[in-house]
Amino acid sequence: MTSTETRADRFVRELTVLKIPDPAAGRAALWLRAGAALMTIGVVLGVCAYFISHNTSDPLVQNDALTLGLAAVAGSVVGSALFLRYSLTGFLRYWMARQSYDVELLADRLLERELRHDPTGTDAAPR
Amino acid sequence: MSALLELRGIRAAHERITVLHGVDLDVAAGQVVALLGPNGAGKTTTLRVAAGVHPAESGQLVLGGRDMTGADPRDLARAGVCLIPEGRGVFPNLSVRDNLLMMTFTGRSREEIEEFAFARFPVLAKRAGQAAGTLSGGEQQMLALARGLATDPAVLLLDELSMGLAPLVVGRLYEQVGEIARQGVAVLVVEQFAAAVLDICDHAAVLVRGRVERRGHPDGGLRAELSALYLGSST
Repeated sequence: MTSTETRADRFVRELTVLKIPDPAAGRAALWLRAGAALMTIGVVLGVCAYFISHNTSDPLVQNDALTLGLAAVAGSVVGSALFLRYSLTGFLRYWMARQSYDVELLADRLLERELRHDPTGTDAAPR
Repeated sequence: MSALLELRGIRAAHERITVLHGVDLDVAAGQVVALLGPNGAGKTTTLRVAAGVHPAESGQLVLGGRDMTGADPRDLARAGVCLIPEGRGVFPNLSVRDNLLMMTFTGRSREEIEEFAFARFPVLAKRAGQAAGTLSGGEQQMLALARGLATDPAVLLLDELSMGLAPLVVGRLYEQVGEIARQGVAVLVVEQFAAAVLDICDHAAVLVRGRVERRGHPDGGLRAELSALYLGSST
């Protein structure tokens, strides 16, 4: 960067080096919906599998129901993970920012208290 | 002077209703461009498309000569596109100082941000410990501007800066906007009430029902046509 570079020059330069992901690859909304759908379908299939296995004495059908139930649980877990990944990231990002802010504020207050510490010992601040 | 921000044939919709029908706009570094028009013309949507927060159905968003259509708004913000939305965009429960402190995510120190903000808007220094929600409308808008400027923007997008403010305050705010542009920032201002912004802008475009009906220098001719366009009559 040269000292004569204007903000506009820097903007253009930064845009050229900025790695912009392909917008078509960003399918966050699709993944969010897929996650929610998988989670719901998993739960419904799990319940269905339970009733299928209870309404028959045929061990083959019960085995099928067992397989269906396990697949449903697996699908539901994957769906939940997808849903959490694409729904909570924004919230967690702000939560982390808030945590950083609080820690910085606490550090500032402790430092301030340290600087204003009363040498007579009447200051009850933790050391 | 080449444009930092270009909108080329932008079409955009809310749900299934198309609100922009091929909007073209250019803003060069150091320029203030006013986008005027009546309520519901599509001004805010245009601004949101420029910031990358509203997807365009077709057309191109070109920044610094590079096609950035569909780019993540966070990438655009990181590069230097700053949108100050309608409604001021401050944290009402935090103090002025804490609102400014939130902008340290940009990598600038708190001292640097406060020094810059308080020098530009001295009234904020007097209100530093006061909750932002208790400031007057003009002071909140100053705080929003100060927060936006803390990001060191190359392209500044302002939505309805004058909303709910007294004309005198609006005039002062637009003086600051002119000053910001003179430092090389490309400024696109959306306004419903044209008088104040026409005094400081280099170009103006009038948007009516999602189409730019008129554009040019903010001379007497444009001012005269504005009322007709707002009222929907033909001149």
